[in-house]
Amino acid sequence: MSTDSTDGTDGPVTEEITVTVNGEPVTAAVEPRLKLSDFLRYECDLNGVRVGCEHGVCGACTVQQDGRTVKSCLSYAVQADGAEIETVEGLDDDGSLHPIQEAFHETHALQCGFCTSGFVMATKELLEENPDPTREEIETGLADNICRCTGYQNIYEAVEHAAEKMEE
Amino acid sequence: MSKPNGPQDDDSHQRLSSSAEAEHPLEWDESPNNRKSKSERQAISRREEKTDARKIVTGESKYTADYALHFPDLAEASILRSDIAHGYVTEIDTSDADAMDGVYAVITPDSDEVPDAMYTSAGQSYPEPSPWDLNVLRRKVRYVGDPIAAVAATDTQTANKALRAIDVTYEELDAVLDPEEAMEPDAPQIHDPDQVENIQPGADYERNIEAHTEGEIGDVDTAFEEAATRDDWFVTETEWKTPYQSHCVPEPHTTIAHRDEDNRFHLITSTQVPYHTRRQLAHLFDVPIRDIRVTKPRIGAGFGAKQSMLIEPITVALMLAADRPVKLETTRREQFYAMRFRRSARVQMRSVVTQDGAIKAFDMSAVTNAGAYGPHGLTVTSSIATKPLPLYTHTPNIRFEMKAVHTNLPIGGAIRGYGAPQGHFALEGHMDEVANKLGLDPIVLRSRNLIGNGDLDTASGVTTDGEHVRRIRSCGINDCIERGKAAIGWEDVKQPEEDHLHRACGVALTAQKSGVAGDELGAAHIRMNEDGSFILQTGAVDIGPGADTAMAQIAAEVLGVPPEDVLVQASDTDISPFDYGAYASSTTYVTGSAVKKAAEDARAQLLEFASQMLDEPVENLQARDGAVRSTQTGDSVTIEDIGYESIYGDNVRAQVMGQASHCTDESPPPFGAQFADVTVNEHTGEFEIHQLVFAVDCGVAINPDLVEGQVEGAMHMSYEFAVSAGLSFENDGTPETLGFRDYGMPTTADQPPLESILVETHEPTGPFGAKSVAEIPVNGVPPALSNAIHSAVGVRITDLPITAEKIRAKLDTD
Repeated sequence: MSTDSTDGTDGPVTEEITVTVNGEPVTAAVEPRLKLSDFLRYECDLNGVRVGCEHGVCGACTVQQDGRTVKSCLSYAVQADGAEIETVEGLDDDGSLHPIQEAFHETHALQCGFCTSGFVMATKELLEENPDPTREEIETGLADNICRCTGYQNIYEAVEHAAEKMEE
Repeated sequence: MSKPNGPQDDDSHQRLSSSAEAEHPLEWDESPNNRKSKSERQAISRREEKTDARKIVTGESKYTADYALHFPDLAEASILRSDIAHGYVTEIDTSDADAMDGVYAVITPDSDEVPDAMYTSAGQSYPEPSPWDLNVLRRKVRYVGDPIAAVAATDTQTANKALRAIDVTYEELDAVLDPEEAMEPDAPQIHDPDQVENIQPGADYERNIEAHTEGEIGDVDTAFEEAATRDDWFVTETEWKTPYQSHCVPEPHTTIAHRDEDNRFHLITSTQVPYHTRRQLAHLFDVPIRDIRVTKPRIGAGFGAKQSMLIEPITVALMLAADRPVKLETTRREQFYAMRFRRSARVQMRSVVTQDGAIKAFDMSAVTNAGAYGPHGLTVTSSIATKPLPLYTHTPNIRFEMKAVHTNLPIGGAIRGYGAPQGHFALEGHMDEVANKLGLDPIVLRSRNLIGNGDLDTASGVTTDGEHVRRIRSCGINDCIERGKAAIGWEDVKQPEEDHLHRACGVALTAQKSGVAGDELGAAHIRMNEDGSFILQTGAVDIGPGADTAMAQIAAEVLGVPPEDVLVQASDTDISPFDYGAYASSTTYVTGSAVKKAAEDARAQLLEFASQMLDEPVENLQARDGAVRSTQTGDSVTIEDIGYESIYGDNVRAQVMGQASHCTDESPPPFGAQFADVTVNEHTGEFEIHQLVFAVDCGVAINPDLVEGQVEGAMHMSYEFAVSAGLSFENDGTPETLGFRDYGMPTTADQPPLESILVETHEPTGPFGAKSVAEIPVNGVPPALSNAIHSAVGVRITDLPITAEKIRAKLDTD
């Protein structure tokens, strides 16, 4: 990480960071106060990272950092320097959807869709840790994400459906 | 209408109704293909995936903020809001903010770009049934949250820094936070009627009353007088209170405003009402409607939050002042104090019911806390009665009085249910109290008085003294009750082994409307491409539930093609046909009817082509399975062949294009039965909800998956309203509930299992028999839960939210 001032005088101080985003290294000069969510949305053009509450409760901005979910609205881009970040855009494989993505749209586990990226990423971590969760484990495992549209029932079904698909 | 003398009995009620028989005949002139058996349906009643599902799961769907990348010189904006509840802004010093690097514009009420005109934020039809009591930026502030100034800057952080550098001087006034106190003679007066335009009925601004109406059917007082003389008529009085509720929209309100290459205003905005917003902006900025374009991208849900023009005017003013595109994204914090809310309400119920359970009279009154301004105040507060009371429309004497009252608190607005949740909590809780008093089973009492198919409903017209009458042409409420009872296990509640735990089920019946009777317009346009696909344009605003998908299914059913062959484009005021917007549970019923008619228009044209191509008369032709077939010869031609023939053919070339508008005086109610199964701990008051079941009659479900999604999502909101809603404030009106955690938004770990049951009826006035479903499931959990708890441990909770503390306090005192 290197620190620099953009114009050498009183412009904003920036730091150069390199982050592996969905498998591709991205090097950028960012201000220290830039949120990871804004870095991903506006520097990396990854709109699937949604910002719904700016205080780490709704979970719409959930991404994986080095294999663990983080609320990207709560961390700064500079904290991801050297890390691997995966967003919902990184899940599909050349246009074929990840089983979790398939499960969410096949079971109608989405309505407005604003929370969906976050739920998909939270589900990924849940199923990586526990490939065959019970309904209760799903309810506990997704409790860091909020959905206002679906009443959650179809999201549970999506997770169960995804678990079946991933087992195959 | 003059009032008949004396209380009406059931017979005279029928006589009153009979005068409306001719005007509202039971028979409905239904188009022949509107009623289809299940086996005849091809595109409807199918579990069709949402058209936008794939782009949502890949993250590629674009909401308003995602369009920022299209504008390289975009400024970001923030709003400076009042931090006092009531007072005058005497001075705003913006000099430090103006001088700050990266600041493009600072606007205040004195800025040239900020209009002085009055308006309402209510996204309603013209003229809005809401007072014009708002300025874009405010010199007088009436609650903590009133916008005073705004900044556009290189980025949000800079804009926020500039906001902090603005120095506001106030002359503070006394504030009033309680609607009852606000009506007292010595209460601070919040609005000056001389500065309000489009004042609503019964307004009395000296008493802070924004609207006040009364309506009566029959003669309620005489019914109560008669009850006093009879020992077989029982009077029951109850009172119910409900708190503020936040929509908790996932996507905070966001607007991007810029000028297009023709110098017109173009807004990309998270709205449920693009056309109303366009008209209201034209009024405010004094520009022709044609010089404004409003584009609705994907919307991160609305629930009524976005049936308001909240941040669009400030964004436009900043765009003018900064002379560049501006994006304004509200924060979650602002969502919890400075947007719109379900207004808190106090509802009083009195009834006269005979010993054997016949309701003779209802006397209902409601006072709602409108908050600082009046959008939707009259109509929401009226709906407290007009939506639920039709359940018992045979009640011969009904009176309703409503007042919407200003306080120095956040503003009431439109929110899913639109008064009906407050009304159902009162009515359906009251019905259980009556049943208890009479020793009747709560379902038996309800059934004794229940609305039925073929009835003339006058209760929904109580605010017009019964002048507004509607015919009920579909009613599956009895099936909803029976299937809900079976699903919840009504007849066989197993008590826990522990003596201090008590289990019981509660029920509440619900009704809603399908659009605003006589005040709707939906329009649709559909055209065929040469490959046999169709582009359907409507102004319908899909805010998440899947309206675009349902519209495609309706068109596909008419055209005999798969739904995926109908591409839906909606909505953009430059491109889409007119639509009143996504509110009042109207989209499927009203716009869906326009889509059906437009598709029928297109089908007639494509059958003409097929007739020429097959050399068969049109009456022998049937569009089905992607082809047009002769029922006589069996010859067929594909829709794609017709597409090519229409565009490139040797004979007549004409694009197949259908169009239609739909408006209606009908607004058939969907019906529902909400059940709750709960165990209560008599020591602690803690309760566990084992299951919530909602059985709904929404006519024919165009897409059962989408309907179940609506039911489960609305039941979640209803559950949240029942157990955790409410905003808290300091004594000076400063908000304390500022995030999801403070608010107690239910997560997957909190919420009980939900079950939805679809009871099919056929509504002859709706497209393929459909009625509405978006709002009705949001009404039932509070009364069903209150009733279940009463049944379990004998205490009655009459104020929401229902908490263990309240139950325990009542257990201790009772």
